[in-house]
Amino acid sequence: MAAISTGVHHRSYRSELRLRHANAEHVRLAIAIALLVVLPFLASPFWLTVANQVGIAVVGAIGLNILTGYTGQISLGQGGFLAVGAYTSGLLVARMGVPTGVAVVVAVLTTAAVGAFFGLPALRLKGLYLAIATLASQFIILWVVRNWTVVTGGVDSLVVPRPALGDAVLRTDFAWYWVIGIVAAVCVVVSRNLFRTGIGRAFMAIRDHDIAAEAMGVDVVRYKVLAFALSSGFVGLAGALTAHYRTIVTFERFTLEVSILYLAMIIVGGLGSTLGSILGATFMIVLPALITQAGQSLQGSFLARQLPAIQLGVFGLVIVLFLIFEPRGLARMWQRTKDYFRLWPFRY
Amino acid sequence: MTRTRQLLAALLSLALLATACTTDDDGATDPTGGATGDGTAATGDPIVIAAIFDLSGATADVGVPFADGAKAYVEWLNANGGVNGRPIELLSQDYQYDVANAEQLYSQYQSQGAVAFSGWGTADTEALRTSITEDMVPFSSASYAETLADPAETPYNFVPAATYSQQMRIALRHIADASGGENAQVALFHHDSPFGLSPLEDGRQYITDNDLDITLEAHAMPGGATDYFGELSQAQDAEYIIVQNVPSLTAQLARDIQSQGLDATLLCLNWCADEVLVELAGDAANGALGILPFAPPSQATGDLSAVESYLADKGQTLDDINLHFTQGWYQFSVIVEGIRHALDQGLELTGSNIKTALEDMPPLETPVTTAIDFTAESHAGMQSVRVYEVQDGSWVGITDAITP
Repeated sequence: MAAISTGVHHRSYRSELRLRHANAEHVRLAIAIALLVVLPFLASPFWLTVANQVGIAVVGAIGLNILTGYTGQISLGQGGFLAVGAYTSGLLVARMGVPTGVAVVVAVLTTAAVGAFFGLPALRLKGLYLAIATLASQFIILWVVRNWTVVTGGVDSLVVPRPALGDAVLRTDFAWYWVIGIVAAVCVVVSRNLFRTGIGRAFMAIRDHDIAAEAMGVDVVRYKVLAFALSSGFVGLAGALTAHYRTIVTFERFTLEVSILYLAMIIVGGLGSTLGSILGATFMIVLPALITQAGQSLQGSFLARQLPAIQLGVFGLVIVLFLIFEPRGLARMWQRTKDYFRLWPFRY
Repeated sequence: MTRTRQLLAALLSLALLATACTTDDDGATDPTGGATGDGTAATGDPIVIAAIFDLSGATADVGVPFADGAKAYVEWLNANGGVNGRPIELLSQDYQYDVANAEQLYSQYQSQGAVAFSGWGTADTEALRTSITEDMVPFSSASYAETLADPAETPYNFVPAATYSQQMRIALRHIADASGGENAQVALFHHDSPFGLSPLEDGRQYITDNDLDITLEAHAMPGGATDYFGELSQAQDAEYIIVQNVPSLTAQLARDIQSQGLDATLLCLNWCADEVLVELAGDAANGALGILPFAPPSQATGDLSAVESYLADKGQTLDDINLHFTQGWYQFSVIVEGIRHALDQGLELTGSNIKTALEDMPPLETPVTTAIDFTAESHAGMQSVRVYEVQDGSWVGITDAITP
């Protein structure tokens, strides 16, 4: 049967290095791509904005997963790094007229540098202590944004002109869907490939046991800083996309709640898995949107008035339930589903 | 999965759902169906208006009565003829002062055909600025920042009350007049946010432009602080302390001023000058001054019979509500009057038509404000406000409307 992926026989190194081997995997990928291509034509405007938000969150979640899921460094500074990416890109375009593409690249590099700097405590701290140190980065970055008025405009919001290619201005959600989709797809491929390289394996070795990794010759200092830099680069990209998509950058968009939301995304999605980042980001963004939509149909009733409280309650409940029942997240649930069909009628 | 773990998981889920379902109803009126006005109920094509309110977030103490007033107005209006016979369909939700929630609700209500939008906070009104301009949605919010009243920047936003900057100018004018030519030391204590800082620069500009003998210093009131002794020690010689903050934090400041025995007079801008401040601060609020664009019901200069008849149907009187209720009521009526004006001229209800109607509308008189008038050059509707003082636990007007 085509669904069985055991017994895949490689005759060359090249075929062994492919991301996907079995026909079943190719078919699933084709179906997923087909669905994503058809989505913007069928979705309502509301769901299209949700899809765009999901795309941006996927980029950010992949960044955080590289750091926390693959390298084992807990980071609570997501909000701050998103702000760095958004403000860098936004300021370059709004104040200095730099083309959007160049501004985004500069934003990615700047955020990577800032992330590497704030990742230096990771060389001495682990676990909870590192989490608090990265929490400091969240507050420091927001403080700088609010008080460095000469550069960032302080607490005033920054208006970013829409990106334009000649006469074509990137305005509609439909157009943004393709841009964000392509960027997210590239990030997914980059992330998947990263963990087939030596760098990726070094990250995973550091996560599993950094002292043993050091003993084996992995330069822990270099790779920890590199992990922070790479992760922050992705997060800066997500921030830059937010700035151009929303066209208004305010520091209130990048608070601690955002950092926690991203952590929740990768926990629910599955640490240490790119698919987990995608599923987690989708889940954590679509769930509140679904609840809001459900609230509309109950307009005026008791439940509708409690909707924001329900949203918060469900948010916490989801994290707790996942940690109890499926700590390896949605990615693991998907893997189990695939295995069920692959091994049927056997159990294992 | 053992039985114990299953049981624990089930209990945890129930507990979390229970916390989500606790009501946050603090006794405010909650209009449900069955309006009983003595006019004719409106039938006909509903006009969809969207609104977001802060019922459980950072500014909920003023957000709840405001929301109640706005919803009460819609209910009363629908029971008394609607807008030219058409009822208003109000789509609203608590957004908890969260920008992301506001954006999501905005795009949702847009897809449901809202012709106008009532926002709330400075943060979300700023964040939605480009969207409302591109989508051409008439917007009115409870953010009275002057930057939002410039049609060149935000052509679709309308600020019905005196802007924070205008309130600041009125406050400084009053202080200058009261000081009779002598130097006045003034401190601005503000919320640590764009909302708080909004009046500062325009206040300084006003002092320079008019050559006033006022020394103005600004101090941020940090969020989460349990007292403001530190900030007050930096403002020791201030004669007047202008406050741009919410009532609960201002009440704390008032009590700190009293306990320190400072000689400063508190002057509250609109959001902290209300009954909540008086209730929370007790006798520390006596003698405080305030700029109230929307007068307390007891100080209304016009006929409040509409509000009274609505409240009477619910078994309440004007004593049961506070000024934010009438603020929500009459602020909401401004958008609705714009829509009525557009319909009266036979215009289709599009965003740009409603915008033009609001600008062309004759000055709108309400019982609790000075006339509200928008023009194509300025969307700041109110230029003059009275100064009030807390006397024996209630706000009393002590001057006529001041135009700075």
